[in-house]
Amino acid sequence: MMNATTISSSDLSGLAADLLAARVRVAGPARASDGTVEYRHAGAPAELVLDSGVPRRSLKEFFLPPTEPLFAWRTGAGGRVELLEAPLPADPAVVIGARPCDAAGIEALDKVMGWDYRDEPWFARREATTIVSLACAGFDRSCMCTSVGLAPDTTKGSDLLLVPIGGGAFRAEVVTAKGARLVAAYPARFRPASGEAEAEAFRKAAREKVAASAPPAADPLRPWLDAHFDHPLWREASLRCHGCGACAAVCPTCHCFDIVDEPETVGTGVRRRNWDTCQTPRFTIHASGHNPKNDQPARIRQRVLHKIVIYPKKFGEMLCTGCGRCSRACPGGMDLPEVLARIAALAGGAQ
Amino acid sequence: MNVYQPFTVRVAEVTDETADTRTLKLEFTDPAVAERFDFRAGQFGEYSVFGAGECTFCIASPPTRKGYIECSFKSVGKVTKAMRELNVGDVMGFRGPYGNHFPLPSLYGKSVVFVAGGIGLAPVRCVIWNVLDLRDKFKDVTIVYGARTVADLVYKRELEEWGKRPDVKLWTTVDPGGETPDWKGKVGFVPAIVEQAAPSARDAVAVVCGPPIMIKFTLPVLKKLGFTDDRIYTTLENRMKCGIGKCGRCNIGHVYVCKDGPVFTAAEMAALPPEF
Repeated sequence: MMNATTISSSDLSGLAADLLAARVRVAGPARASDGTVEYRHAGAPAELVLDSGVPRRSLKEFFLPPTEPLFAWRTGAGGRVELLEAPLPADPAVVIGARPCDAAGIEALDKVMGWDYRDEPWFARREATTIVSLACAGFDRSCMCTSVGLAPDTTKGSDLLLVPIGGGAFRAEVVTAKGARLVAAYPARFRPASGEAEAEAFRKAAREKVAASAPPAADPLRPWLDAHFDHPLWREASLRCHGCGACAAVCPTCHCFDIVDEPETVGTGVRRRNWDTCQTPRFTIHASGHNPKNDQPARIRQRVLHKIVIYPKKFGEMLCTGCGRCSRACPGGMDLPEVLARIAALAGGAQ
Repeated sequence: MNVYQPFTVRVAEVTDETADTRTLKLEFTDPAVAERFDFRAGQFGEYSVFGAGECTFCIASPPTRKGYIECSFKSVGKVTKAMRELNVGDVMGFRGPYGNHFPLPSLYGKSVVFVAGGIGLAPVRCVIWNVLDLRDKFKDVTIVYGARTVADLVYKRELEEWGKRPDVKLWTTVDPGGETPDWKGKVGFVPAIVEQAAPSARDAVAVVCGPPIMIKFTLPVLKKLGFTDDRIYTTLENRMKCGIGKCGRCNIGHVYVCKDGPVFTAAEMAALPPEF
């Protein structure tokens, strides 16, 4: 699939304008009035800011919204109950300027959303959305994509990957058929491929920048973690944890959810799925009061192991894309790169 | 219709098991669903009261009895309180069946020993009736069931029925102090009664479900009797929301109780991280 094309900044804006004119929803990093950059739906191309660092929240809310209706119910005469299906979210959308770590997170989640039981709302959004990522130059010391088998220019999860080649232009690598369809649909916005050497230089420099401060690779830590389920490490780490779940909220791959009923009027209401997090004390509590993960060390361990041991064992890939958001968002100063470096040191010492 | 939308079921019968435990017999409102609905012993579902929410319970009735499912629950939280308010004719929701199941056909020709404590009899009862409905396919059937007090014993009418059957060896027990003057069963903890019952492990499997403490002390007894870890089955019930491997609550290490379980052998459980 890997053919390429070129697009200028102004044509990228033009592409966004063309899409909006065609009633396609356009989303990407956009600056809010408080100055923070978040992924948002853009009403005009000018709202997109592609040179602004990592949006505070990940891309996942475009595929797994913080809250979403699963169906509605209506009770009628004689105790009759009617269930009303939630329409599948199928509005076509294009994300422009996704971070590669965020796009990779979405693809990683396809596995859990699709094994055996297909999560239709997730896949409806996946199918309706084209992801145009922008290769990252490396952001800060919380970045660790290179420790989890990815890179600032990973194409995983992207349909099209833009790589800066100088002069405000991007080399656009077509990753999927969906990406090819986008290019084919707006031929006037794309030029013949150029800047291969410049793109390669950008990618190399970015990889080196991230790798320079990232912790050791997480993959080889698995045997040690399997052999040391109970370890003081988790208690040490938990001392910084408030159990607030900010890490999970900003994470591109944390996908735990709750299912709750919200009555709306007498006899009607909606069953919704809402984001939830394994970091809260009552997440796993049984009706009897017994709680298998009954203290914060057990909950920190669950979050870290889910990402680098459990998900890989189950689905063959990491559930961490190294975006660094959990470290940036943590009010207690929990730092995932530091935790991984600590595990690597322990594992190294154990060998 | 997405995977989270339940079938609607109508309450056909309400049976009080104890002061706070109740069994609902549920029939699918859509005859086509009732016709095609099928499950295997050990599977579970998500039961819901519209407006209160969803809860996870095993299917307590056996798959050999068609046209309905049963659910036994203790009134503890919001959903179970709402379930307790339901009367015959009321409509609720059910999603399922989910999870794996007891490998019943592969147990044909064997003896089965059932060990249950408290409300842990609910999932075991499903297997007991499944076995009894196909009685000629199995050898000896032994049931050891205990509860804290006489008042806490569930399925009392069925215990009586099983006790009268010549083809079932039933041992009922209550914890010391939990007996009444007219109690005719044993007094003692379940593991001790299993030891006393001493079912033969020859060509036999054990199905165990109850509070963690009961399971912990029953396993060594079964082992002493000769039951190897791969012939002891139990069913785990971790907290769940989706029941289909997505919501992230029920995992023990890389094992998702909702999809890889809820039925596990003692050998499989021994390989899991100690986080039950």
